[in-house]
Amino acid sequence: MTKYSNPEVLVETDWVKQHLGQPGIRLVEIDVDTKAYEAGHIPSAVGFNWQTQLQDQLRRDIISQEAFEKLLGDAGISPTDTVILYGDNNNWFSAYGFWLFKIYGHKDVRLMNGGRVKWLNENDKQLTTEVPKIVPTHYKAATPNLELRAMLPEVLQAQAGKNCNLVDVRSNDEFTGKVIAPPGMTETAQRGGHIPGAKSVPWNTAVGADGTFKTADELRAIYVDQKGVDPKKDSIAYCRIGERASHTWFVLKYLLGLPNVKSYDGSWTEYGSIVGAPIEK
Amino acid sequence: MNHQARVYENVFEMLPSEVNPTPLVRINKLNPGAEFPLYAKLEWVSPFGSVKDRAAWELLRDLEDRGELVPGRGMVEPTSGNTGISLAAMARARGHRLLAIVPNKIPLEKKLLLKIVGADLEVISDELCPAPGLGDGSINLAKTHAKASAQKYVLPNQYENPKNAEAHFKTTGPEIWKQTEGKITHLFASLGTCGTVSGTSKFLRSKNPNIKVIAVQPTEGHDVPGLRNVSQLGVSKLFDPSLVDDILEIDFHLAYTRALELCQNEGLLAGPSSGLIFEGALEIVRRDKKGHGVMIFPDNIFKYTTNMTKHIPGLSDGTQPK
Ligand SMILES: Cc1ncc(COP(=O)(O)O)c(C=O)c1O
Repeated sequence: MTKYSNPEVLVETDWVKQHLGQPGIRLVEIDVDTKAYEAGHIPSAVGFNWQTQLQDQLRRDIISQEAFEKLLGDAGISPTDTVILYGDNNNWFSAYGFWLFKIYGHKDVRLMNGGRVKWLNENDKQLTTEVPKIVPTHYKAATPNLELRAMLPEVLQAQAGKNCNLVDVRSNDEFTGKVIAPPGMTETAQRGGHIPGAKSVPWNTAVGADGTFKTADELRAIYVDQKGVDPKKDSIAYCRIGERASHTWFVLKYLLGLPNVKSYDGSWTEYGSIVGAPIEK
Repeated sequence: MNHQARVYENVFEMLPSEVNPTPLVRINKLNPGAEFPLYAKLEWVSPFGSVKDRAAWELLRDLEDRGELVPGRGMVEPTSGNTGISLAAMARARGHRLLAIVPNKIPLEKKLLLKIVGADLEVISDELCPAPGLGDGSINLAKTHAKASAQKYVLPNQYENPKNAEAHFKTTGPEIWKQTEGKITHLFASLGTCGTVSGTSKFLRSKNPNIKVIAVQPTEGHDVPGLRNVSQLGVSKLFDPSLVDDILEIDFHLAYTRALELCQNEGLLAGPSSGLIFEGALEIVRRDKKGHGVMIFPDNIFKYTTNMTKHIPGLSDGTQPK
């Protein structure tokens, strides 16, 4: 069995339990349901709110470098810390957080395999409502590494040039345009469908019954052999607003080690609203 | 207590049991099978209004017996409404509290009833995107509270606690056996936590292993409170496929239209999950031709008027002055 290309970016719940409270280990919970943290979290974990803390509150964008520095400083995180991210919905928004941490150059950030549900259902794992006491730091981020992020012009070029794997990670109903967004989700687009030439690989194909990632061999068989993602080409993953895309971006870049993988966080809410952009159903 | 005179010292004495069963009522106009009588077991004829009285009582008594409920510590439970209503009403009458975690899509009537009977309510937005390993939002949140605030909450856990199925093994099963004088050939039930089907089937099969157990479930994307589609069944740890012969997947709109037919033709004020079960029973009557069927009708229509207006065209017409 082959290993993940970058096995160090993934930790198991047992590893987290063993390393709780050790210096230099910091836990951050990022959920879709922003109330989950308050109800109970892993002892010593801080919580980030994806709606108010990970997005620019004025324009549609990721948070600025200053805002990222303030967020991490206020959370008591130093650039040399090992940061473990975890969250609900199989780590959707913690994968988005991971992507953001990498854009701002944080060296050692990892995802907890299986997310909060796995921890919750293991009898030997504790949760608390206690908010940790934080000693703020002066966090200094690197200049953003925008190599990890695809913007619209690049996506349009990739679509026209057909020289890049476009991976649509949304559900089948979103891909075929039957629905524009999953039920209950408020952010939508003007049109349904997908980017012409995109391959449909729903994000959850990457995880097993317990929510943990499939093995490297299984992942390679799915993405490369079955779905035709060409490992010699660049890749762009997209979804609706960038959270599920980050999950697949993580799989392609870190678990499978594909060369140049970007997440298109504008995703369908941007693309599906562009006047004149080509769409397939 | 005296079941004949129906005089009771407290409401709990009224709970159903072999000596005080919920009624079995025959379907007359709507059953075309001359050689296949169908009887509905009216679970709403129970003090707190649904089949969930049985499980709630068993779960609550077990927690009391084990000393889990002490002053300052109540219960937290994920519920589509009925378990919460039974549990909260029982709990308050016995001096305990319940925090009910409910999905937003349950009918408004149930949310209000939960508050009326004294539950604390936490409503969560509906499942976002069913996926492996995620479980269910309300179950996860209830488990989170029970784990993070164990001093405040204990989780009865109807989805995993064998006491839920045991309640039906002890009461529903023996009632049906006695009421049909052992003649039952087919049992029809729905799948939610699967406590009803597992406990009742296990008892009846111990009496007669040939009894066919038919479970119905709504098609995906349904809005039938209390029930689960196969894709959602993973969380129901009490589901035991060996206790079920057939699982019929039925268009969820039929839950509402069949319920309406039962209300208007049989005088049975059945709720949507009963409607779905009835549709499943009719399919089997057509298939097997002969038999003696018992359908467990979980609750009545009173809590579903809002849902009914979504499925029955014109239902709300004429309810306002012109
Ligand atoms: C209206 C209704 N029908 C059916 C069921 C299913 O019963 P069980 O959970 O025992 O499978 C429930 C249970 O929640 C219910 O509330």
